[in-house]
Amino acid sequence: MTDLMTDLTPITALGATVARAESFGALTITENAGLGLASLALRKGQSAPQPFGLPLPAVGKAVSMGDYAAFWTGRDQWMIEAADKAEVDFAALLKAEAPDCSVTEQTDGFTAFEISSTQGPAPIEALMRKLVNIDPKAFGAGQATRTGLEHMTVFLIRRSDDHLAVIGMRTLAGSLWHALAVAARRLED
Amino acid sequence: MTRLTGGLIDRNAPLNFTFNGKTYKGFQGDTLASALLANGVQLMGRSFKYHRPRGVFAAGSEEPNAMVELRTGARQEPNTRATVTELFDGLVARSQNHVGPLERDFLAVNDLLSPFFAAGFYYKTFMWPKAFWEKLYEPMIRKAAGLGSLSMLPDPDDYDKGFLHCDLLVVGGGAAGLAAALTAGRAGAEVVLADEDFALGGRLTMESDLLDEAAATDWIASVKAELESLPNVRIMTRTTVFGVYDHGIYGAVERVSDHLAVPGDKVRQTLWRITAKRAVLAAGATERHMPFADNDRPGVMLAGAMRAYANRWAASPVKRDSDAIAIFTNGDDGHRTAMDLIAKGAKVLGVIDARDAAPRFGDYDVYAGATVTGTKGRLGLTSIEITRNGQSQWHNVGALGVAGGWNPNVHLASHHRGRPVWDDTLLAFVPGPNGPAGLIPAGAAAGKGGTEEALTDGMRAAITALSEIGVTASEIVLPKAENMPAEQVAFWHVPGSKRAWVDFQNDVTVKDIALAHKENMTPVEHLKRWTTLGMATDQGKTSNISALAVMAELTGKTIPETGTTIFRPPYTGVSLSVLGGGDTGPLFRPRRLTPTHTWAEAQGAAFVEVGPWMRAQYFPRAGETTWRETVDREVLAVRSNVGLCDVTTLGKVDVQGADSGEFLNRMYSNMMGTLKVGMVRYGLMLREDGHAYDDGTCARMSEDHYVVTTTTANAGLVYRQMEFAHQCLWPELDVQLISTTDAWAQIAVAGPKSRALLTRIVDDFDLSNEAFPFMACSELTICNGLRARLFRISFSGELAYEIAVPARYGHALMQRLMEQGADLGVTPYGTEALAVLRIEKGHAAGAELNGQTTAQMLGLGKMVSAKKDSIGALMSRREGMAADTRRLVGFKSVEPQKQAMAGSHLFAEGAVQNMSTDEGWLTSSCYSPHLNGYIALGFLENGDARLGETIVAANPLEGQSVKVEVVSAHFVDPEGGRLRD
Amino acid sequence: MLIPHPLLGLRDSQEFTYLGDASLMQRPDPSAQNAEAAFCDYVFLRDNPAGVMRELWFHEQGDRSWLVVTRDTTTHEILGAELASDVKGAAK
Repeated sequence: MTDLMTDLTPITALGATVARAESFGALTITENAGLGLASLALRKGQSAPQPFGLPLPAVGKAVSMGDYAAFWTGRDQWMIEAADKAEVDFAALLKAEAPDCSVTEQTDGFTAFEISSTQGPAPIEALMRKLVNIDPKAFGAGQATRTGLEHMTVFLIRRSDDHLAVIGMRTLAGSLWHALAVAARRLED
Repeated sequence: MTRLTGGLIDRNAPLNFTFNGKTYKGFQGDTLASALLANGVQLMGRSFKYHRPRGVFAAGSEEPNAMVELRTGARQEPNTRATVTELFDGLVARSQNHVGPLERDFLAVNDLLSPFFAAGFYYKTFMWPKAFWEKLYEPMIRKAAGLGSLSMLPDPDDYDKGFLHCDLLVVGGGAAGLAAALTAGRAGAEVVLADEDFALGGRLTMESDLLDEAAATDWIASVKAELESLPNVRIMTRTTVFGVYDHGIYGAVERVSDHLAVPGDKVRQTLWRITAKRAVLAAGATERHMPFADNDRPGVMLAGAMRAYANRWAASPVKRDSDAIAIFTNGDDGHRTAMDLIAKGAKVLGVIDARDAAPRFGDYDVYAGATVTGTKGRLGLTSIEITRNGQSQWHNVGALGVAGGWNPNVHLASHHRGRPVWDDTLLAFVPGPNGPAGLIPAGAAAGKGGTEEALTDGMRAAITALSEIGVTASEIVLPKAENMPAEQVAFWHVPGSKRAWVDFQNDVTVKDIALAHKENMTPVEHLKRWTTLGMATDQGKTSNISALAVMAELTGKTIPETGTTIFRPPYTGVSLSVLGGGDTGPLFRPRRLTPTHTWAEAQGAAFVEVGPWMRAQYFPRAGETTWRETVDREVLAVRSNVGLCDVTTLGKVDVQGADSGEFLNRMYSNMMGTLKVGMVRYGLMLREDGHAYDDGTCARMSEDHYVVTTTTANAGLVYRQMEFAHQCLWPELDVQLISTTDAWAQIAVAGPKSRALLTRIVDDFDLSNEAFPFMACSELTICNGLRARLFRISFSGELAYEIAVPARYGHALMQRLMEQGADLGVTPYGTEALAVLRIEKGHAAGAELNGQTTAQMLGLGKMVSAKKDSIGALMSRREGMAADTRRLVGFKSVEPQKQAMAGSHLFAEGAVQNMSTDEGWLTSSCYSPHLNGYIALGFLENGDARLGETIVAANPLEGQSVKVEVVSAHFVDPEGGRLRD
Repeated sequence: MLIPHPLLGLRDSQEFTYLGDASLMQRPDPSAQNAEAAFCDYVFLRDNPAGVMRELWFHEQGDRSWLVVTRDTTTHEILGAELASDVKGAAK
């Protein structure tokens, strides 16, 4: 397999050697630096494969099975997620699962911030109301969408009632973290 | 002190505040206006134009007079309405718009000059002599104009924004709004209840009406408690819904901490964008007045406001308890005020009722068929003249309430040009049938102002609104209430020869309206602009309808024939700070950082904003004193050794699919489908109108996989354009597009020693010219197994490569290249050196691809393939485009140390410099350390045929004229031997 | 405004980039006899009706689909929205 054995040391999207995590009252935001990402798009006329056994989700949905997950990003397009696969060539793994599809490496195209709540869905929903024009009541567990957040474009995945993932462009990681952290801190008051 | 008994103030929570430097005491629950009144302060400011002494006129956000400067230092805020300013301990307020003390304003001389300041005064007076406008009139007017003053310091507070979604938005928390919210809340609907006041209840808090035979506050408290217990209801007090936008989107400002001395950890205000399936407009009504002679003295106010101050704030409108209060009314409502004041123990002179058959509801004098025809009192009302049947008599009073009827607050209902309609019974405009879709007026806002009818109407509106979205709501048990007598007659103003104010804030009188009529400014739109009526910060809430009535009388038409006033957002003023949210300073917009950003910071790089990106501009070394010195060194290092530059910002689009070659053939003017796997081709993209759009490279990674690069500036636009072409023009092509700009850190390794440097980091990869020639590309591994992509492309004209690795390794790769290349003289370079290098090589960039140039002008005419169709190809061959003879060439300053600036225009030596002799312009210019002199690129008529000619680059803005020699744009290695070496 | 996305339902117009007249989807045949005149019309002439108009919106902060939205420009009432690739595909 294509595991990297390089002697170069990577940095996280936020520019450090270890992933950042910070708590704000009931909310904890964690930089998910280990997440492997690759996009999968169907070629013309293809039917959807089941990479890693994942049934690819319908419009606006996300699914997960063990270490793998997928969310809908557009018609006949998905993003496939793999826990702790950032250091391997995850796109190659996915291509092996779906050899006829268009697969593009995206691990370092994005930064994933996992936001979890210790007090149920309310703090997650309050945070959403400060950041995105998406109705949290209509965005329950298993929903995924893409929208604007402070002039940036992000994917939102409601992994569970008390867990929201915000996946934004890697080069905007600092601005995105700032936006999330400021909003979460203000909810503490 | 003129504090009455009762009221909704907390007498256990006294608050100190100052007004014009004097300390007063109020209570929790007071507004600044109620606290000042309770301290016997009537005089609160000066009027805008005539600097007349003014006191508080209303009790809500419609206030035209009592505008103060609030707070100090950076938080100083002008034009704040005292009527909606919640009192807090330590509040500091000053009256505004006067020179010298409030009691003796030197600009009050304007009042004596008032005959000259009539309607249209500015338009008529400051026309001549023309030259005086800029030098004299405008500065003078600017100095005198405006009300309060700004601190001129940055706002120290934080502002926020947010988004809400609901089934039902209820605008207004009075009788109708509470009934609507409770009905919808019990039905399980998602409800947002917003009210501009800090307390719920609306007029119920200001009236003496009983609900279920108890104080209305009991019912309000029980409803509030129930609504708070419902998870589907969000109560937002201190929140003004200021505008209605398309498809059920409402704008609202929540004043989170305006009521605190300083916000502390909180934000000051939040801007909410509310998406509501339906809304109930329960915004209540605003009382109107009846203009009469000298009706603007402090102490004259709306009778309903007087009642509100007495009932809710236990504040009497007079300076001394011994002063009497009179009410002037055209209907029953004025009598309510008299009754409530008497109940509070105030001294009431009586009710002056314009109706001959005036009723009497209690133990007070009624002056039936009478009007008020004059007032006295320099800084506050001392007496009024009551006239009945031509007989006039002066009476001593300390305050006068005016009750002219109530105007439904139709504002939001007219935001989509929904025209209110006239109701002859109510003598008021009510929301018409063509208001914003999904917005249902209810209660006093719909002309149903009686307490019983408002409650019922609110409930009905909620049931109707919810049924429209498929939610069934049941009727609720409403408290027992009654509708007070509300008979009135159409009496609009008291005719007379003295000035009678209509619009207090902009000092517009009945006379001004008469003058506008005389000058044929009769349509309301003209009336408004000619007299400035309704154009002040209160937007004429208390004056528009009265003005219409006066104009109707003058024209002999009915009020609806005369016109309708509609309103635009915002309902009340919205601060720019909250509209801007937190987007200020470095947070103005998100910043994109390259993968080597922290490394560059550590090197002490200077950064430059390039769109959203922060890019290293140059890397100064110790001892270098100017940026030029640094840039020259970086450029020479690339030309003689090897340089490193982070070029991650170039857009990268991954193109896959069986038809990707055909797709790129159509996107680019040149052939891409024939490109061999493992090779890169320079590509030129045109706009459909035939002009050059963007340039970049296409690298063919496999038969059905290309990696396309775009310029930094056009990355998003080209990606969008490719999606357009794919989805809207040729969806039959099998193509999949996705951006990978951020995924790969890309570093340019440029210079004669670049191969030597790369050889040290690649894992078993043959970099020889034969194995990996110019324009080759490959996937490979480096540094013991890190996957990478290598492209042999050059922007500098030197032997050069661009190497891409997963973004997380960009930082480490840069460090490794610096370590490995130390003995080769490796040098990091920034965007300045990058620009010098490309100008020296004659490569076009943004300044040359500015949307006005063509492939031919760029010397790239041959790239537009005639063998195939591509976007813009046909239009690029239009006659006029083809006939353009301007060509991109280079220029060398004849005196090498004299710079010809980019933007300079080109003329023949000795020619008169004007449009007709203009021969082109310079696009880019820089100092070339390679040539030891200034060089430039530009477009020149027949430029390619004029090499060696000396012409003039003129920059009239700087008074500059520089002789330049026309040369090839390729200052360095014109044959291109170096990059193929 | 809210755009009724055919796949995603009502989405705020702030997520979209507006382009305009959907006639831009009818790119002329460059090999036709009057191709230059047809391209000049295509590139430079747009209808700008006060009333119902078919126009292109790009869901740039969403699923990156181009939509053909039918909208009354005088009232902003939206009468329908389709995926541009479907509209184009059906026309072929």
